[in-house]
Amino acid sequence: MKLTMKTVVLGSAMIGCAVAAFVAPGRADDAPRALALGQPAPRAAVKMMNVDGRALSIAEEAGRKGTLVIFMCNACPWVKAWQTRIVELGNGCAKRGIGVIAINSNDPGTVPEDDYPVMRSNAKAHGMTFPYVVDATSDVARAFGATRTPEAYLFDAAGRLVYHGTVDDNAHQPEAVKARYLADAVNAVAAGKKVAVAETKSLGCSIKFRPRG
Amino acid sequence: MSGRRALRLLAALGLAACAACGGSHAPRAATPERTPAAAPPLAAAGAERVLEAVRAPGARAVMLNVWATWCAPCREEFPDIVRLARAYRARGLRLVLVSADFEDGAGAARAFLAGHGVDVPSFIRTGDDMRFINAIEPFWSGAIPATFLYDGAGRKLGFWEGRQTYATLESAVRKALDEAPSHDSTEVKR
Repeated sequence: MKLTMKTVVLGSAMIGCAVAAFVAPGRADDAPRALALGQPAPRAAVKMMNVDGRALSIAEEAGRKGTLVIFMCNACPWVKAWQTRIVELGNGCAKRGIGVIAINSNDPGTVPEDDYPVMRSNAKAHGMTFPYVVDATSDVARAFGATRTPEAYLFDAAGRLVYHGTVDDNAHQPEAVKARYLADAVNAVAAGKKVAVAETKSLGCSIKFRPRG
Repeated sequence: MSGRRALRLLAALGLAACAACGGSHAPRAATPERTPAAAPPLAAAGAERVLEAVRAPGARAVMLNVWATWCAPCREEFPDIVRLARAYRARGLRLVLVSADFEDGAGAARAFLAGHGVDVPSFIRTGDDMRFINAIEPFWSGAIPATFLYDGAGRKLGFWEGRQTYATLESAVRKALDEAPSHDSTEVKR
């Protein structure tokens, strides 16, 4: 079984790379590929500075029933549009056994508004009760294959990725939302059920990666 | 051009005209800033309308750029996009611009376009993001800026996420134009 799974994963990766290379010849060689469903969180042990001054890792914030990792920032209009919904959902996760960690991978050298002091004030202003940490090298985002903000990755109790994508289907008009993708996925994970819609997309701000070290 | 296609085009032009004059179908500007008189039309459009513009006859290559006024790398890249389009327009390159601003940011988008001397009709995307992204390119994550290059028949040659250099895009455009058939033999993909 292990061999079969390994073969499937390797085979899928090779096919994926071949297709991507054909369809997207113009993309940079180091263009990130999103973490595949079923995979564990990469770089889960990397310590990142939280807005409260503690150094935390994804592994340390993992919940009993699941873990939500969400790449966000301070400056992106899409994050701003969804922020109330993200905070409301994130704050409610802890009580349901789902750990939450929000990660800012943006280079404040590119976007000054994404610097640590602004993260602190932003978290406070919005009443975030979950960690909001600095990905100081942007390598956590690279490892996830994250490209934009906000971008959510939800792992189940076994630590496997079961949802990747956006918050819902209408950033700008909360009252017009028809599909609450992330909330539905969180509900499913909290209930130990299969996530119905596992991959979604939205337009979003590109992550401003720090230069590679 | 089929009757249905002509009707669609007329409807789009009508919408663009309304947007230009601030008519009832025009997205409302969130800011009171003045829009220069030379601001180009900005029509609300989903992926289907955008792809229709990409596949419209007459081009030997088409560059589609998705941008937004608040997106710093988009703003940085934009002058190169416009310069490239101008440099290769005579050889048959068509530029299709899609603003990813929210619809109430249409005023700012038009002012930005006017500020860069854009004189071609542009779009501001509307509707469901996921449908839009997947219809344009299933491998596109949704991050912007995003630039797509097509041949004259509407076949995608490549796409880029994130800000690109003039040289990168020019190289791809030149290759596309060098390999493109003459205007007369270009077929339109339906």
